Amino acid sequence: MEIRLEGLTKVFTDKTGKETRAVDELTITIPSGKLVGLLGPSGCGKSTTLFMIAGLHKPSGGKIFFGDDDVTRLAPEKRGIGLVFQNYALYPHMTVRQNIMFPLENLNVSFKQAQVLVEEMADLVGIKDQLDKKPSQLSGGQQQRVAIARALVKKPRVLLLDEPLSNLDARLRLQTREEIKRIQRETGITTVFVTHDQEEAMSISDQMVVLNYGVMQQMDAPQDMYNHPDNLFVAKFLGNPPINTFEGRVESGHIIVGEDIVVGKTKAKDGIYAIGIRPEDFKVDPSGFVVSTDHIERIGRDTMIKFNLGGVAMRALLESDTVTTSETINLMVKPGKVHLFDLESGSVVL
Amino acid sequence: MNKQDSRLKQMIWVFRSKLHHTGVVIDNFLSKLGLQFIVRWPAWLKAIFYLIPALSLLMIFTFYPIFNSFLISFYTGYNIQRGDFDGYTLFGNYQTVLSHANFGRAIFNTSMIVLISVPVTIFVGLMIAVALNAIKPLRGFYQSIFFLPYVTNSIAIGLVFAFMFKGNVNDLTNLGLANQLLTWIGLKPIVWIGVGATYWSAMSVILIYSVWNGLAFKIIVFLAGIQGIDKQYYQAAQIDGASRSKSFYRITVPMISPMIFYILITSVIGAFKTYSSVVAIINREGLITTGANGTINLKTIVFYIYDYIGLASQDGLMSYASAAAIILFGIILVFTVLQLQVGKRRVHY
Repeated sequence: MEIRLEGLTKVFTDKTGKETRAVDELTITIPSGKLVGLLGPSGCGKSTTLFMIAGLHKPSGGKIFFGDDDVTRLAPEKRGIGLVFQNYALYPHMTVRQNIMFPLENLNVSFKQAQVLVEEMADLVGIKDQLDKKPSQLSGGQQQRVAIARALVKKPRVLLLDEPLSNLDARLRLQTREEIKRIQRETGITTVFVTHDQEEAMSISDQMVVLNYGVMQQMDAPQDMYNHPDNLFVAKFLGNPPINTFEGRVESGHIIVGEDIVVGKTKAKDGIYAIGIRPEDFKVDPSGFVVSTDHIERIGRDTMIKFNLGGVAMRALLESDTVTTSETINLMVKPGKVHLFDLESGSVVL
Repeated sequence: MNKQDSRLKQMIWVFRSKLHHTGVVIDNFLSKLGLQFIVRWPAWLKAIFYLIPALSLLMIFTFYPIFNSFLISFYTGYNIQRGDFDGYTLFGNYQTVLSHANFGRAIFNTSMIVLISVPVTIFVGLMIAVALNAIKPLRGFYQSIFFLPYVTNSIAIGLVFAFMFKGNVNDLTNLGLANQLLTWIGLKPIVWIGVGATYWSAMSVILIYSVWNGLAFKIIVFLAGIQGIDKQYYQAAQIDGASRSKSFYRITVPMISPMIFYILITSVIGAFKTYSSVVAIINREGLITTGANGTINLKTIVFYIYDYIGLASQDGLMSYASAAAIILFGIILVFTVLQLQVGKRRVHY
C-alpha cells in the first residue's frame, strides 16, 4: 500500500495561544512494500507525522492517501494500520496471547481462527514459547516482538513503528533491527518507522526521510543521502563522527581553506561557501597538506586524528595501517568528496 | 529561574542543613547521656525505639480494648461499674446474642446496607470518575464539588437528608425536597421516614445517603487511578478497533483493579460499621413508630452493640455488647479474607 502525504501540516496551539508548526507542508510518497525511516532530531515532528498517518492526531492541513483512498478524515481503527508504540503499550494485565489476540476480538474472526493467527504471528516474530507469560515477565526485546505481533495480527495495510529500538540496549538493538527488517521482508508490508538514531535508520530503511522543525530536508536511499546531502543540515545530521564543516572559498575552481590550503576542485563560482568534509574522506597522501598529529586516537581498524587546518579544528578518520608515528602527516581529501553549501540557505551547490 | 523559585530552593536548603544539624545535636545529646550506643543499634531495634510512643498509645487504646472485649464476652453477670462478674461461659453470651430477634434484624439491616450500597457506590463512583476524567473545562471545580461530602460532617449531612426526606401521613403539606420533586413530576409524595413510612422507604433513604456519602472518596481514588493509566493503552486499543465501552472494561477496569479492590475492602468494612447515618436520618433509637403498624427497626449491628453498652450498668449486658462486637469482627474478618482470596486471582498489580 503506497502512502502519500500531501502538504501535511500540524499546528499545535499551547495555552498561551502560541502556535508551533510541528509538521509543515510535508509532501512525500512512501512506496508500497518498502521500509521507510523518518529521521530527525528530537522535536522535528517525526512522531507527529507518524501519529497523523495512524489517525491519532488530526492534521491541521493537507491530505493523507493510502493508495487511492483519502484517509485524512478516517478514524484510526478504519485505516487498517498496525502501530507499535515507543514503550510498546502492551496491556500489562493480559498474557502475551491475549495481547496479540486483542485486535482480533474486535474483528469478525472465530476463536479458533484467532488462535491460529496468534500462533502464526508468534512464530513469525519468534516468541512462540512465551505466549502464556505476562509482558512484565519478558525482556525488552521480547516485548518489542509481542508489540509487533499485535500490530501485525490483523493483517494491516501499513505498519507504523514509533522509535522501535529506543528502549533496547545496544546489543538487542542490533539484533532487533535485523529482526524488523526480516519481518518486513517476509510480510512485504509497507512500513514507516520513526527514529532519531541515524545509524538505525541507515541500517534498515529502504528510503529515509530527514525532517527538521517539521520541514522535510531530503528523501533518498540511505547511502545516497549520506553521499549526496541536499543541504548542510542533512550533511551534519548524518555521519558519526560528524562531518567537518567550516567556511572556505572557491577561487578559479579551487576550494581553499584558511590562507592557501587547497582541499579540492569544483566547478562552482568563486565566492565564500560552507564546506563539509566527512572525516573518513581524508586519506594519507605525501602530496597533501601537512598537519600535526598531536591528537591521535587509534581505534582498531581506524585512527582518528584531530588537527587544525587553516584555523579550523577538524577530525579525520584514517585507516590505521596508513598512519605513521611521525609528528606530522600529509593528508588529502579524496576526489569529489568536498561538499559545498550555500552560506545562507545551506543548500548544496552543484 | 524566577525569584520565588530561588527563595523556595534556598528555604529547602536551609531546612535540610538544619535537619542535618539537628541530627548532630541529637547525637551529641545522646552521647552526653551515655546513650550513644543507640546510634549504633541495628535498624530494626531503632525502628522499635522510635515507634514506642505510637505503640504505647495503640496498646492502651486499641489492643487492650480488643483483648478486653474478648474477655468480657466470656464473662457472666459482668457489671462494668463494679467490675465484678459471676463466672465464665464459653458461648453462652454468643448464643444469647445470636438468638435475639433484634440482633437478627440488625444483621439483616446491616447486610442490606453492605450488599446494596457498596456495589452501587463503586459502580456510580467509577462512572463519575470516568466522566470527570473525560471533561476538560471546570474539571477542578467538579472534583471539588464531588469531594465536598468527604470533608463534611456526616451527622450534618444526615440531618440535611432527614430534612430533605421529611413528611408524614398526617402532614402532607409540609414536605421535604424529595417529595416536592416527586410532586413536580406528577407522582404522589412518599412517606419516607416519618410516621407511616415502610421499612423499604426508610431503608432506601439510608441507602441513598450511604451511596452519596461514600462517593466522594471513591471518586478521588478512582480518578487518581484512571489518570495514572498511560494514554497509549487507549490509543493502542483504538487502533485495534476496540469500542469505548470495551476499552473501559478491558483496560480501565483491570488497570485500576488494585484501587477498586482497596475501595471494595474498605467500604465493605465501613458499611458493616454503619451507625451514625441511621442516627442522623432516623433518630437516636433507630426505630420508626408507625402507630398501628408497630415499629420499623432500622438498627445496625453497631447500633445493637451501642444499645447494650448504654445498658452496661445492668449485670451481663456488657458481655452481650462484647459478644456482638466479636461477632461483627468475625463477619468482617471472613468477608475480608474472602475478598483477599478472590483478589489474588482477579487483581492485576
